[in-house]
Amino acid sequence: MARVADPHAMAPAKAGPTRTAPPRMPPEFPLQGRYRAYTLFDATGAVYLLLGLLALRLVWALGSGDAAWRSAMESLGNPLYLLFHALAFASVLFVGVRFFRLFPKAQPPKIGPLRPPPQPVIHALLYAAWLAVSALMIAILAGGIFG
Amino acid sequence: MSEVRRRRFVVTRFDPDRDAEPRTQSYDVPCQPDWKVLDALNYIKDELDPSLSHRWSCRMAVCGSCGMNVDGKPTLTCKQALDSYGDEVEVEPLSNFPVIRDLVVELEGFLEKLQQVKPWILRAKELAVEAGPAKQKPEELEVFRNFSYCINCMLCYAACPVVANEPAFLGPAAIALGHRYNVDSRDEGARERNQVFRGEGNVFACSYANECSEVCPKHVDPAAAINQAKFNAVIDWMAGLVLPRGGR
Amino acid sequence: MKQLLLRLEPLIWLLFGQGILIGTILLTGWVLVVGLLAPLGLVSDGALAFERAHRLAAHPIGRLVLLAIVALPLWKGAHHLRSLAIDFGGGHRDAAVATLLYAIATVGSLLGLVAVARL
Repeated sequence: MARVADPHAMAPAKAGPTRTAPPRMPPEFPLQGRYRAYTLFDATGAVYLLLGLLALRLVWALGSGDAAWRSAMESLGNPLYLLFHALAFASVLFVGVRFFRLFPKAQPPKIGPLRPPPQPVIHALLYAAWLAVSALMIAILAGGIFG
Repeated sequence: MSEVRRRRFVVTRFDPDRDAEPRTQSYDVPCQPDWKVLDALNYIKDELDPSLSHRWSCRMAVCGSCGMNVDGKPTLTCKQALDSYGDEVEVEPLSNFPVIRDLVVELEGFLEKLQQVKPWILRAKELAVEAGPAKQKPEELEVFRNFSYCINCMLCYAACPVVANEPAFLGPAAIALGHRYNVDSRDEGARERNQVFRGEGNVFACSYANECSEVCPKHVDPAAAINQAKFNAVIDWMAGLVLPRGGR
Repeated sequence: MKQLLLRLEPLIWLLFGQGILIGTILLTGWVLVVGLLAPLGLVSDGALAFERAHRLAAHPIGRLVLLAIVALPLWKGAHHLRSLAIDFGGGHRDAAVATLLYAIATVGSLLGLVAVARL
């Protein structure tokens, strides 16, 4: 039997006339069936938080001068950082795919007077934007343009 | 011609007068090839153990009474064929609900959440009968038609991890039905319902599990409704910051 | 605190939503180059040298993009970790957990603003 959920889950304001057995969690929660992907999705929050803090450190170093920047960039060569970024890359892709699947159906039927485009069009536009921006960023960061 | 297959059903039992906590009881059932899960449960009650309690009614997936966890998944037992299951089938009451007895769960909590969203047409002034029926274009209907198919079977509540952990959360069906009326062209109650969505019931507590839509037997897609409702609630919130409101 | 959190939910959700949408779109190239290709020596030598990096970053668009890369993932991260805490039975501690996580995101975002301003 699954473990007990919050004891007040789905409880009415006033208890009924008989004693009830407590509500139980969905049996497959959190790491079986489709819940696994959901739990992973939530867990990528840790990766994003760390990425944001790391980006902060890098931008701060960039504003602190050549030596600070060089030191920060060199530290990224540490195997632990490399492992983290490999995991981060996989996480970002996972989040993108999952979120872009949801995003089209999450658009309300009307935003003021405007009607959103059909869902497959939104889906395609999201991927187009993702690829275009990524390609541009890679080109800029890797030195391909704005040399 | 009929190939009867014997299956063992491991069914949760709970009698509040006798049991400290739920237990399981096994039944061997000769299953006809065209049976649904509900047929097996009715066989158990009719032929093996009349003390088994379970809810059911229409047998055709419109009344929403017969929702249970089958092999760990929220299932409409009158709709789910038995042939997708193995030799042993686990039947439990719906997750996330207090259990009254055996497979019967407490519904009142759901009904209270449903009432909070006022799932009916709200108008400042009712249309006069002489004016005839309220007109609605097909594209206006299309915007909410799907969400109106909800049969209140509560499988979505049983699947939702937020319902399990946040008792105040309105839950998938209530939000979907509230949203259904918010976007109905005949309705004028969106502002009132958005207050409820931004209150304790907190539509933003939904964390995108999408399980509600996966288990829905009527393809309502409550996840779509909830996330559309979040967006609309934000617009309503922003409008409230900028424009004056009377009363609240 | 619980009431304050409820009232701020629409704003938090907006930031979280952009964290996922814009954050993910921006982070893909960033993580690939800055996190993997550059440390492994797979980009041209001067690409991320101080002179070039600072020139690009100090551009108004560069500052905006970097601010987005710092701040938006913080909000996505904070909101999702709060959700994870609730999923694992932390509903009754939500006010405290949420406050801590959103405080990190807020402070991080403000520091990000300072960081891009001082470039």
